[in-house]
Amino acid sequence: MKQPLIEFKDFTFRYKSQTEATLHDINLTIYEHQKVLILGASGSGKSTLAHCINGLIPFSFEGEIKGSCRVAGIETINASIFDLSKQVGTVLQDSDAQFVGLSVGEDIAFSLENENVLRKEMLTKVLDAATVVGMQDFLAAVPYRLSGGQKQKVSLAGVIHEDVQILLFDEPLASLDPAMGKTAIELIDDLYKLNQKTVLIIEHRLEDVLHRPIDRVILMDEGRIVADTTPDELLVSDLLLTYGIREPLYLSALKHAGCEVLASDGPCDVFTMDLSRFEDKLKAFEDRYVASIDKQFSQKLIEVNDVSFAYDKTKVLKNVSFDIHRGEKIAIIGKNGAGKSTMAKMLCGVIRPDEGQIRINQNDYLQMTIKELGEMIGYVMQNPNQMLVKDIIKDEVGLALKLRKMTDEQIDERVSEVLQICNLHSMRNWPVSAVSYGQRKRITIAAILALKPTVILLDEPTAGQDHRHYTEILSFLKELHETMNLTILFITHDMHLAIEYTDRAIVFADGECIRDDQVFRVLSDPDIIERANLKQTSLYSLAKRIGRTPEALIDQFITLERQGKR
Amino acid sequence: MKDKFLINIVPGDTFLHKLSGSTKVRLFVVLLVFITMSFDLRLILPVFVLTLIGVISAKPNWKQVKVIMSVVIFFNLLNIFLFYVANPTVGEYWCNQLTIIGQLNNYFVFPVETFWYLFVRLIKMLTNFMVSLWFITTITPSEFAAGLYSLGVPYKVCTVVSLGFRYIPDIARDYENIKISMQLRGVEMDAKRTKISERLKQMVLILVPLIITSFDRVQTIANGMDLRGYGRNKKRTYYCEHESTNADKIFQFLTLLLFIFSIGYIMGVNIWPPQTNMWCPIDWR
Repeated sequence: MKQPLIEFKDFTFRYKSQTEATLHDINLTIYEHQKVLILGASGSGKSTLAHCINGLIPFSFEGEIKGSCRVAGIETINASIFDLSKQVGTVLQDSDAQFVGLSVGEDIAFSLENENVLRKEMLTKVLDAATVVGMQDFLAAVPYRLSGGQKQKVSLAGVIHEDVQILLFDEPLASLDPAMGKTAIELIDDLYKLNQKTVLIIEHRLEDVLHRPIDRVILMDEGRIVADTTPDELLVSDLLLTYGIREPLYLSALKHAGCEVLASDGPCDVFTMDLSRFEDKLKAFEDRYVASIDKQFSQKLIEVNDVSFAYDKTKVLKNVSFDIHRGEKIAIIGKNGAGKSTMAKMLCGVIRPDEGQIRINQNDYLQMTIKELGEMIGYVMQNPNQMLVKDIIKDEVGLALKLRKMTDEQIDERVSEVLQICNLHSMRNWPVSAVSYGQRKRITIAAILALKPTVILLDEPTAGQDHRHYTEILSFLKELHETMNLTILFITHDMHLAIEYTDRAIVFADGECIRDDQVFRVLSDPDIIERANLKQTSLYSLAKRIGRTPEALIDQFITLERQGKR
Repeated sequence: MKDKFLINIVPGDTFLHKLSGSTKVRLFVVLLVFITMSFDLRLILPVFVLTLIGVISAKPNWKQVKVIMSVVIFFNLLNIFLFYVANPTVGEYWCNQLTIIGQLNNYFVFPVETFWYLFVRLIKMLTNFMVSLWFITTITPSEFAAGLYSLGVPYKVCTVVSLGFRYIPDIARDYENIKISMQLRGVEMDAKRTKISERLKQMVLILVPLIITSFDRVQTIANGMDLRGYGRNKKRTYYCEHESTNADKIFQFLTLLLFIFSIGYIMGVNIWPPQTNMWCPIDWR
């Protein structure tokens, strides 16, 4: 008989600063050695639930608690966060902020230092923990030299030497590229198998988490638990659609092919699910395939020719060449440090090429100032908080115009036009700080659009957003593309985005442009996928399983998805 | 990100780097007291020479050291010059005599004692600088925190030091990003094209989002630290603070001797009887 480890009974929680409760009537029991996914869109209360388990509620976030929550036999309302930290190891979403040490070793040792452990014992414990996550050779490394995935491993090592019973991962995939995310999920699974721990994963990216088996899925919405089931049952229900969770690609493809998947087919893993009933339908589906025609664009807008660049000695861009045409939607893909951001900065004129030329709209780029380039190419940063400087939305959007010495009437006119396009007009006099993250993102886009650029360049526009917000932002961009004939460049790790919304992908690896082609071809090339730290999409695996070429299936799928969207 | 700061984040591998944090912090504090207490070149000069050797042995990033050094030397020379201009006979106070060997006019006279005093003063200031430079180039922020803690400073204060250094590069990166986004929207940062007053205004514009993003981060960092038991106990240990080696023991012993000597000197020379005389090698009379 398994022991209950976490028990919520009629649990309700309201943050002090809010009038409505964030969690309502939670009744949940999680037993020892279970691997549980807590699934839900942003604002569903899943992070709040996690805070109740690790003790941040009520320790750091004050509020009103009703009912009971027991973790490893401790009633959390009475417990100190320190007692709970002996039972629950938490890996935060922002592994950069969790990294408080000045080196890997120091960071792993942090909780031991706080426990007043002698240094002699600490050394072996740190080494052991680092070995578990595979970071033993990096003990002296500084945080700025590590990738997001490595930082996350360090965070994990920092909580496992406490011999905790529960490991809690708060959105572990949010800041990782696809290949790193895959490794993270594998590492979590290995730890789960090896150490008989209870693992809780808070995520909204279902398909990526299901890369390794999950025992149980708790689906949350608006502060309530709406489903408590197995992944197989969940996938064949209509719950995903109802609660804004993205369905795995292979299941969407099966549905396009007219297959009705049942829980007994084992749909949670594309490699092991029973396809025998669907094989014919899938093959027929693929036989209907008509190759999509490469869209033709006539007007060259940006020509990058043999460009190289180095910050110091090592080149971060090596002989890069590509063209961008007016009206194209392009994904710029590659792992961190591959040169994507450098290329983006260069297009905006913040840095200039050491060798090679760039022509923009037939003009010599070198003759243009940053300010002039800013009117051609708008750059929207990943974090809207890094872009917003004014108090009132209207002023924020008009800032660039004001700096260009336009008259007040001109500014007003342009600003209200842009705000209308962005659906922000009714909020124009609101303070910037009062709106949600997604709306701030919209404001930054509006601020850029105020200059009427021909190209906008978005750095990870969907990072950390759930499916609903993701769809919202991208349909908004798509609309802009259609109404304003904008050329849009996405710098992204998100393959879904590339598949659904772009015509072409430019792939970077180690400062070189290694591929410039339609998305489905890029995603069908195992070599490119590996070099760019991407992940094989499940469509690829599905096609392989029925013995067909992935290219056709992926292309077919993209075409249908786009038609479905219209 | 630049690879080499003047400050080391990772412990270096020279002899002085390998001393423990508490040894280095103690030695630094005692040396500062020692330098400050007197104007006696016989005491100051050996420290100057030894710390100079110390700095050279620590193999710092000379490019950065040179910049700082030239600034410091320039300001010290300026200081000495202004001292002279303010009172050309200041040496009389310190040496109780005045030997004038020439003069420009009635005010600007050239007394040997004044030159001697100013020379000693220059060496003293440079020694102060060398002591600090030696300290900065051989210690990591974490060792500094551990060293302060070993002197009885509450660890929450020590954490502020090390945590500050941890997030400086992150904040620098945020700053860079914000600056870029502002430039693209039309804020002119080019020094040649804008007045200083304009640029200051624009700096303030950048600070707003910088402060907001930093504050966002503070909450997360605090949570991360709470979750790992920070602040639970009154005491803590430091991963970077290794057990005393023989070299540490010798240095700590020498530091102690120096400390006792300094206390004695301050009691005997500076406090009772109060003396303002300084040591002069030659009697010029």
